[in-house]
Amino acid sequence: MKTVFINCSPKKKFSASAHFLGICRLAVYGDVVKTNVRSKGDYKKVLEHLKGADNTVFVLPLYVDGVPSHILGFMKELENFCRENNITLNIYVISNGGFIEGEQNQVLMKIFENFCARSGLTWCGGVGIGGGVMLNVMRMLFLVFTGILLLSVAISGIEHGEWLPQQSFIIYAKQLALILFLHAGVIAYVWKMGLAISKSNKFGIRYTRVMMPSFLFIIVADFFFTAISLFKGGMFRGWLSEK
Amino acid sequence: MRVIIHDLGKQYDGLLKNKCDCLIRADGRYAPCQGCFNCWTKHPARCFMGDSLQEVCRIVGRADELIIISENCYGSYGPNVKNIIDRSIGISKPLSTYRGRQMHHKLRYGMHKLIHVIAYGAITEDEKETFSLLAERNALNFGFENLQFTYIDNIDSLESCI
Repeated sequence: MKTVFINCSPKKKFSASAHFLGICRLAVYGDVVKTNVRSKGDYKKVLEHLKGADNTVFVLPLYVDGVPSHILGFMKELENFCRENNITLNIYVISNGGFIEGEQNQVLMKIFENFCARSGLTWCGGVGIGGGVMLNVMRMLFLVFTGILLLSVAISGIEHGEWLPQQSFIIYAKQLALILFLHAGVIAYVWKMGLAISKSNKFGIRYTRVMMPSFLFIIVADFFFTAISLFKGGMFRGWLSEK
Repeated sequence: MRVIIHDLGKQYDGLLKNKCDCLIRADGRYAPCQGCFNCWTKHPARCFMGDSLQEVCRIVGRADELIIISENCYGSYGPNVKNIIDRSIGISKPLSTYRGRQMHHKLRYGMHKLIHVIAYGAITEDEKETFSLLAERNALNFGFENLQFTYIDNIDSLESCI
Protein backbone atom coordinates (compact mmCIF):
# COMPACT_ATOMS: atom_id res chain seq x y z
CA MET A 1 0.00 0.00 0.00
CA LYS A 2 1.53 3.29 -1.12
CA THR A 3 0.33 6.61 0.25
CA VAL A 4 1.52 9.96 -1.07
CA PHE A 5 1.12 12.99 1.18
CA ILE A 6 1.12 16.27 -0.72
CA ASN A 7 1.88 19.33 1.37
CA CYS A 8 0.19 22.11 -0.59
CA SER A 9 1.34 25.03 1.53
CA PRO A 10 3.41 27.63 -0.35
CA LYS A 11 5.58 28.02 2.76
CA LYS A 12 8.93 26.27 2.81
CA LYS A 13 9.00 25.70 6.55
CA PHE A 14 6.84 25.95 9.66
CA SER A 15 3.57 25.65 7.74
CA ALA A 16 0.44 24.51 9.55
CA SER A 17 -0.07 21.99 6.74
CA ALA A 18 3.29 20.35 7.54
CA HIS A 19 2.21 20.13 11.18
CA PHE A 20 -1.06 18.34 10.38
CA LEU A 21 0.65 16.15 7.81
CA GLY A 22 3.10 15.06 10.52
CA ILE A 23 0.25 14.16 12.88
CA CYS A 24 -1.57 12.12 10.23
CA ARG A 25 1.61 10.42 9.07
CA LEU A 26 1.98 8.79 12.52
CA ALA A 27 -1.18 6.76 11.96
CA VAL A 28 -0.51 5.65 8.38
CA TYR A 29 1.41 2.45 7.78
CA GLY A 30 2.79 0.99 4.56
CA ASP A 31 4.91 2.78 1.98
CA VAL A 32 4.62 6.52 2.62
CA VAL A 33 5.99 9.35 0.46
CA LYS A 34 5.90 13.02 1.46
CA THR A 35 6.13 15.66 -1.23
CA ASN A 36 4.96 19.22 -1.85
CA VAL A 37 3.43 21.51 -4.45
CA ARG A 38 4.51 25.13 -4.11
CA SER A 39 4.66 26.09 -7.76
CA LYS A 40 4.29 24.72 -11.29
CA GLY A 41 7.89 23.54 -11.11
CA ASP A 42 6.84 20.87 -8.58
CA TYR A 43 4.14 19.27 -10.76
CA LYS A 44 6.37 16.78 -12.57
CA LYS A 45 8.03 15.51 -9.41
CA VAL A 46 4.70 14.98 -7.65
CA LEU A 47 3.05 13.26 -10.61
CA GLU A 48 5.96 10.80 -10.76
CA HIS A 49 5.36 9.95 -7.10
CA LEU A 50 1.70 9.25 -7.86
CA LYS A 51 2.51 6.49 -10.32
CA GLY A 52 1.77 3.26 -8.47
CA ALA A 53 0.23 5.04 -5.48
CA ASP A 54 -2.99 3.82 -3.88
CA ASN A 55 -3.81 6.81 -1.70
CA THR A 56 -3.16 10.52 -2.02
CA VAL A 57 -3.59 12.92 0.86
CA PHE A 58 -3.79 16.63 0.04
CA VAL A 59 -2.84 18.72 3.07
CA LEU A 60 -3.57 22.36 2.40
CA PRO A 61 -4.51 25.73 3.83
CA LEU A 62 -7.92 27.28 3.19
CA TYR A 63 -7.53 30.40 1.01
CA VAL A 64 -10.53 32.76 0.86
CA ASP A 65 -13.11 29.99 1.40
CA GLY A 66 -11.62 27.70 -1.22
CA VAL A 67 -8.62 25.94 -2.70
CA PRO A 68 -5.43 28.04 -3.12
CA SER A 69 -4.92 29.06 -6.76
CA HIS A 70 -1.66 27.17 -7.24
CA ILE A 71 -3.40 23.93 -6.20
CA LEU A 72 -6.32 24.47 -8.60
CA GLY A 73 -3.75 24.54 -11.39
CA PHE A 74 -2.19 21.33 -10.11
CA MET A 75 -5.59 19.61 -9.87
CA LYS A 76 -6.24 20.33 -13.56
CA GLU A 77 -2.85 18.85 -14.40
CA LEU A 78 -3.54 15.81 -12.21
CA GLU A 79 -6.92 15.25 -13.88
CA ASN A 80 -5.25 15.05 -17.30
CA PHE A 81 -2.41 12.92 -15.96
CA CYS A 82 -4.77 10.36 -14.39
CA ARG A 83 -6.88 10.12 -17.54
CA GLU A 84 -3.88 9.68 -19.81
CA ASN A 85 -2.24 7.06 -17.60
CA ASN A 86 -5.40 5.29 -16.39
CA ILE A 87 -4.47 6.03 -12.81
CA THR A 88 -6.98 5.50 -10.04
CA LEU A 89 -6.35 6.96 -6.60
CA ASN A 90 -8.13 7.28 -3.30
CA ILE A 91 -8.21 10.98 -2.44
CA TYR A 92 -8.18 12.30 1.13
CA VAL A 93 -7.93 15.93 2.26
CA ILE A 94 -6.76 17.69 5.41
CA SER A 95 -7.51 21.40 5.18
CA ASN A 96 -6.98 24.09 7.75
CA GLY A 97 -8.31 27.61 8.00
CA GLY A 98 -7.33 30.48 10.28
CA PHE A 99 -10.90 31.03 11.50
CA ILE A 100 -12.02 28.89 14.40
CA GLU A 101 -14.93 27.12 12.72
CA GLY A 102 -13.78 23.95 10.96
CA GLU A 103 -17.02 24.08 8.96
CA GLN A 104 -15.59 27.01 6.97
CA ASN A 105 -13.69 24.32 5.02
CA GLN A 106 -16.95 22.95 3.64
CA VAL A 107 -16.69 24.49 0.16
CA LEU A 108 -13.10 23.30 -0.21
CA MET A 109 -14.23 19.74 0.53
CA LYS A 110 -16.96 20.00 -2.09
CA ILE A 111 -14.46 21.25 -4.67
CA PHE A 112 -12.29 18.18 -4.07
CA GLU A 113 -15.35 15.94 -4.31
CA ASN A 114 -16.20 17.51 -7.68
CA PHE A 115 -12.58 17.13 -8.77
CA CYS A 116 -12.70 13.39 -8.00
CA ALA A 117 -15.98 12.99 -9.90
CA ARG A 118 -14.48 14.67 -12.98
CA SER A 119 -11.17 12.82 -12.81
CA GLY A 120 -12.48 9.32 -12.15
CA LEU A 121 -10.75 9.24 -8.74
CA THR A 122 -12.27 7.95 -5.52
CA TRP A 123 -13.30 10.61 -3.03
CA CYS A 124 -12.67 9.21 0.44
CA GLY A 125 -13.25 12.29 2.57
CA GLY A 126 -11.28 14.59 4.77
CA VAL A 127 -10.85 16.61 7.93
CA GLY A 128 -11.53 20.36 7.98
CA ILE A 129 -9.69 22.11 10.78
CA GLY A 130 -10.47 25.50 12.32
CA GLY A 131 -7.82 27.58 14.07
CA GLY A 132 -4.99 26.00 12.09
CA VAL A 133 -2.62 28.93 12.55
CA MET A 134 -3.03 28.85 16.31
CA LEU A 135 -2.41 25.10 16.48
CA ASN A 136 0.73 25.61 14.44
CA VAL A 137 1.88 28.32 16.86
CA MET A 138 1.26 25.82 19.68
CA ARG A 139 3.66 23.43 17.98
CA MET A 140 6.33 26.13 18.00
CA LEU A 141 5.55 26.93 21.63
CA PHE A 142 6.11 23.26 22.43
CA LEU A 143 9.66 23.62 21.13
CA VAL A 144 10.13 26.84 23.11
CA PHE A 145 8.82 25.23 26.31
CA THR A 146 11.11 22.24 25.79
CA GLY A 147 14.06 24.61 25.36
CA ILE A 148 13.14 26.47 28.54
CA LEU A 149 12.89 23.18 30.46
CA LEU A 150 16.32 22.05 29.28
CA LEU A 151 17.76 25.44 30.20
CA SER A 152 16.24 25.38 33.69
CA VAL A 153 17.52 21.82 34.21
CA ALA A 154 21.01 22.92 33.20
CA ILE A 155 20.94 26.01 35.46
CA SER A 156 19.51 24.07 38.40
CA GLY A 157 22.05 21.29 37.92
CA ILE A 158 25.05 23.59 37.65
CA GLU A 159 24.03 25.98 40.44
CA HIS A 160 22.45 23.62 42.97
CA GLY A 161 23.48 20.16 41.79
CA GLU A 162 19.78 19.33 41.32
CA TRP A 163 19.41 17.78 37.87
CA LEU A 164 15.71 16.97 38.20
CA PRO A 165 14.06 20.23 39.34
CA GLN A 166 10.55 19.10 40.23
CA GLN A 167 8.92 22.50 39.79
CA SER A 168 10.26 22.91 36.23
CA PHE A 169 8.96 19.49 35.23
CA ILE A 170 5.53 20.21 36.73
CA ILE A 171 5.28 23.47 34.78
CA TYR A 172 6.40 21.69 31.60
CA ALA A 173 3.85 18.90 32.10
CA LYS A 174 1.07 21.49 32.48
CA GLN A 175 2.17 23.29 29.30
CA LEU A 176 2.30 20.00 27.42
CA ALA A 177 -1.15 19.02 28.70
CA LEU A 178 -2.58 22.35 27.51
CA ILE A 179 -1.08 21.95 24.04
CA LEU A 180 -2.41 18.40 23.78
CA PHE A 181 -5.84 19.52 24.97
CA LEU A 182 -6.02 22.26 22.32
CA HIS A 183 -5.06 19.61 19.73
CA ALA A 184 -7.47 16.94 21.03
CA GLY A 185 -10.05 17.21 18.23
CA VAL A 186 -7.41 17.33 15.50
CA ILE A 187 -5.46 14.37 16.87
CA ALA A 188 -8.62 12.26 17.24
CA TYR A 189 -9.96 12.91 13.73
CA VAL A 190 -6.67 13.05 11.85
CA TRP A 191 -5.42 9.82 13.40
CA LYS A 192 -8.77 8.16 12.74
CA MET A 193 -8.47 9.22 9.12
CA GLY A 194 -4.87 7.97 9.08
CA LEU A 195 -6.11 4.50 10.06
CA ALA A 196 -8.75 4.67 7.30
CA ILE A 197 -6.02 5.65 4.81
CA SER A 198 -3.92 2.64 5.83
CA LYS A 199 -6.83 0.39 4.86
CA SER A 200 -7.86 2.53 1.85
CA ASN A 201 -11.27 2.91 3.49
CA LYS A 202 -13.67 5.78 3.00
CA PHE A 203 -13.65 8.18 5.92
CA GLY A 204 -16.34 10.77 5.23
CA ILE A 205 -15.97 14.45 6.12
CA ARG A 206 -15.31 15.64 9.67
CA TYR A 207 -14.82 19.14 10.97
CA THR A 208 -12.89 20.03 14.08
CA ARG A 209 -11.11 23.00 15.63
CA VAL A 210 -8.73 24.19 18.26
CA MET A 211 -10.39 23.25 21.57
CA MET A 212 -11.17 26.76 22.76
CA PRO A 213 -14.32 28.90 23.01
CA SER A 214 -14.80 31.12 19.98
CA PHE A 215 -14.89 34.43 21.91
CA LEU A 216 -11.61 33.59 23.62
CA PHE A 217 -10.05 32.53 20.31
CA ILE A 218 -10.86 35.93 18.79
CA ILE A 219 -9.19 37.72 21.71
CA VAL A 220 -6.07 35.55 21.35
CA ALA A 221 -6.03 35.94 17.54
CA ASP A 222 -6.34 39.74 17.83
CA PHE A 223 -3.53 39.80 20.37
CA PHE A 224 -1.40 37.63 18.05
CA PHE A 225 -1.88 39.89 15.02
CA THR A 226 -1.38 43.03 17.13
CA ALA A 227 1.91 41.70 18.46
CA ILE A 228 3.09 40.61 14.99
CA SER A 229 2.06 43.97 13.47
CA LEU A 230 3.95 45.81 16.19
CA PHE A 231 7.02 43.65 15.63
CA LYS A 232 6.92 43.94 11.81
CA GLY A 233 6.09 47.64 11.84
CA GLY A 234 2.72 47.50 10.07
CA MET A 235 1.16 49.21 13.07
CA PHE A 236 3.11 52.36 12.23
CA ARG A 237 2.14 52.27 8.54
CA GLY A 238 -1.60 52.81 8.78
CA TRP A 239 -2.33 49.35 10.08
CA LEU A 240 -6.12 49.61 10.12
CA SER A 241 -6.75 52.52 7.77
CA GLU A 242 -7.97 52.62 4.19
CA LYS A 243 -5.18 52.71 1.65
CA MET B 1 -16.82 52.12 -8.33
CA ARG B 2 -17.59 49.18 -10.57
CA VAL B 3 -14.78 46.65 -10.96
CA ILE B 4 -14.66 43.66 -13.30
CA ILE B 5 -12.25 40.73 -12.95
CA HIS B 6 -12.24 38.30 -15.86
CA ASP B 7 -10.24 35.48 -17.42
CA LEU B 8 -11.76 35.61 -20.89
CA GLY B 9 -8.71 36.77 -22.77
CA LYS B 10 -7.56 40.09 -24.18
CA GLN B 11 -10.19 40.15 -26.95
CA TYR B 12 -12.92 40.82 -24.35
CA ASP B 13 -11.16 43.82 -22.79
CA GLY B 14 -12.80 46.30 -25.18
CA LEU B 15 -16.31 45.08 -24.45
CA LEU B 16 -15.80 44.92 -20.69
CA LYS B 17 -13.95 48.23 -20.32
CA ASN B 18 -17.12 50.04 -21.36
CA LYS B 19 -19.03 48.37 -18.58
CA CYS B 20 -16.87 49.31 -15.60
CA ASP B 21 -14.57 51.84 -13.97
CA CYS B 22 -11.71 49.39 -13.57
CA LEU B 23 -10.95 46.19 -15.46
CA ILE B 24 -8.62 43.47 -14.18
CA ARG B 25 -7.71 40.76 -16.65
CA ALA B 26 -6.68 37.51 -15.00
CA ASP B 27 -3.84 36.58 -17.33
CA GLY B 28 -1.90 34.51 -14.83
CA ARG B 29 1.24 36.64 -15.10
CA TYR B 30 1.61 37.00 -11.36
CA ALA B 31 2.64 34.88 -8.42
CA PRO B 32 0.27 33.03 -6.09
CA CYS B 33 -0.30 34.23 -2.53
CA GLN B 34 2.41 33.02 -0.15
CA GLY B 35 0.23 33.21 2.96
CA CYS B 36 2.72 35.45 4.80
CA PHE B 37 0.07 37.93 6.10
CA ASN B 38 2.50 40.80 5.48
CA CYS B 39 -0.33 42.65 3.70
CA TRP B 40 -1.89 42.83 7.17
CA THR B 41 1.07 43.05 9.49
CA LYS B 42 3.99 44.68 7.68
CA HIS B 43 2.83 46.95 4.84
CA PRO B 44 -0.97 47.13 5.09
CA ALA B 45 -3.00 46.53 1.91
CA ARG B 46 0.15 45.97 -0.14
CA CYS B 47 1.70 42.64 -1.15
CA PHE B 48 5.45 42.11 -0.77
CA MET B 49 5.55 40.66 -4.30
CA GLY B 50 6.12 43.44 -6.80
CA ASP B 51 3.97 42.19 -9.67
CA SER B 52 0.74 43.50 -11.20
CA LEU B 53 -1.28 42.37 -8.16
CA GLN B 54 0.84 44.17 -5.59
CA GLU B 55 -1.94 46.63 -4.70
CA VAL B 56 -4.94 44.82 -6.19
CA CYS B 57 -6.69 44.71 -2.81
CA ARG B 58 -6.91 48.53 -2.86
CA ILE B 59 -8.91 48.32 -6.11
CA VAL B 60 -11.14 45.45 -5.00
CA GLY B 61 -11.57 47.15 -1.62
CA ARG B 62 -13.00 50.29 -3.25
CA ALA B 63 -15.47 48.39 -5.44
CA ASP B 64 -19.11 49.11 -4.66
CA GLU B 65 -19.91 46.57 -7.31
CA LEU B 66 -17.57 43.70 -8.11
CA ILE B 67 -18.18 41.49 -11.13
CA ILE B 68 -16.14 38.31 -11.40
CA ILE B 69 -16.24 36.42 -14.68
CA SER B 70 -14.50 33.05 -14.43
CA GLU B 71 -14.29 29.66 -16.01
CA ASN B 72 -15.59 26.85 -13.82
CA CYS B 73 -12.92 24.74 -12.18
CA TYR B 74 -14.56 21.96 -10.12
CA GLY B 75 -17.06 24.44 -8.68
CA SER B 76 -14.45 27.11 -8.07
CA TYR B 77 -13.02 30.07 -9.93
CA GLY B 78 -10.30 29.17 -12.40
CA PRO B 79 -6.73 29.36 -11.04
CA ASN B 80 -5.98 32.79 -12.55
CA VAL B 81 -9.07 34.45 -11.08
CA LYS B 82 -8.69 32.65 -7.75
CA ASN B 83 -5.15 33.96 -7.59
CA ILE B 84 -6.46 37.54 -7.72
CA ILE B 85 -8.99 36.79 -4.99
CA ASP B 86 -6.31 35.12 -2.83
CA ARG B 87 -4.07 38.16 -3.26
CA SER B 88 -6.92 40.49 -2.21
CA ILE B 89 -7.11 39.59 1.47
CA GLY B 90 -5.68 43.00 2.34
CA ILE B 91 -9.20 44.37 1.83
CA SER B 92 -9.79 43.17 5.36
CA LYS B 93 -7.97 44.00 8.58
CA PRO B 94 -6.10 41.45 10.67
CA LEU B 95 -8.51 41.91 13.57
CA SER B 96 -11.50 39.61 13.85
CA THR B 97 -15.23 39.94 14.31
CA TYR B 98 -18.41 37.93 13.78
CA ARG B 99 -20.34 38.11 10.49
CA GLY B 100 -23.10 35.68 9.64
CA ARG B 101 -22.59 34.08 13.06
CA GLN B 102 -19.06 33.03 12.09
CA MET B 103 -15.63 34.45 12.66
CA HIS B 104 -14.35 36.76 9.92
CA HIS B 105 -11.92 39.64 9.61
CA LYS B 106 -12.97 43.25 10.05
CA LEU B 107 -13.27 45.18 6.80
CA ARG B 108 -10.71 47.83 5.85
CA TYR B 109 -13.03 49.55 3.34
CA GLY B 110 -16.42 48.89 4.96
CA MET B 111 -19.35 47.07 3.39
CA HIS B 112 -19.76 46.85 -0.40
CA LYS B 113 -23.00 46.76 -2.37
CA LEU B 114 -22.92 43.88 -4.82
CA ILE B 115 -20.77 40.97 -5.90
CA HIS B 116 -21.86 39.32 -9.14
CA VAL B 117 -20.15 36.07 -10.03
CA ILE B 118 -20.55 34.88 -13.61
CA ALA B 119 -19.35 31.34 -14.29
CA TYR B 120 -18.87 29.83 -17.69
CA GLY B 121 -17.53 26.60 -19.20
CA ALA B 122 -18.55 22.97 -18.74
CA ILE B 123 -20.24 22.50 -15.38
CA THR B 124 -22.14 19.76 -13.54
CA GLU B 125 -25.07 20.37 -11.22
CA ASP B 126 -22.87 19.63 -8.19
CA GLU B 127 -20.24 22.08 -9.40
CA LYS B 128 -22.87 24.74 -9.98
CA GLU B 129 -24.11 24.29 -6.43
CA THR B 130 -20.55 24.42 -5.07
CA PHE B 131 -19.67 27.52 -7.09
CA SER B 132 -22.80 29.29 -5.88
CA LEU B 133 -21.91 28.39 -2.28
CA LEU B 134 -18.34 29.63 -2.78
CA ALA B 135 -19.65 32.96 -4.11
CA GLU B 136 -21.97 33.18 -1.09
CA ARG B 137 -19.05 32.55 1.29
CA ASN B 138 -16.87 35.12 -0.49
CA ALA B 139 -19.66 37.71 -0.30
CA LEU B 140 -19.82 37.22 3.47
CA ASN B 141 -16.06 37.13 3.88
CA PHE B 142 -15.37 40.28 1.82
CA GLY B 143 -18.42 42.15 3.12
CA PHE B 144 -20.77 42.37 0.13
CA GLU B 145 -24.38 43.09 1.02
CA ASN B 146 -25.84 41.47 -2.09
CA LEU B 147 -24.83 38.49 -4.16
CA GLN B 148 -25.76 37.46 -7.64
CA PHE B 149 -24.57 34.19 -9.17
CA THR B 150 -25.07 33.54 -12.86
CA TYR B 151 -24.02 30.64 -15.03
CA ILE B 152 -23.79 31.21 -18.76
CA ASP B 153 -23.44 28.28 -21.13
CA ASN B 154 -22.74 30.56 -24.06
CA ILE B 155 -20.17 33.33 -23.75
CA ASP B 156 -22.11 35.37 -26.34
CA SER B 157 -24.77 36.00 -23.70
CA LEU B 158 -22.22 37.69 -21.42
CA GLU B 159 -23.07 41.24 -22.48
CA SER B 160 -26.70 40.88 -21.47
CA CYS B 161 -25.62 39.72 -17.97
CA ILE B 162 -23.59 42.79 -17.15
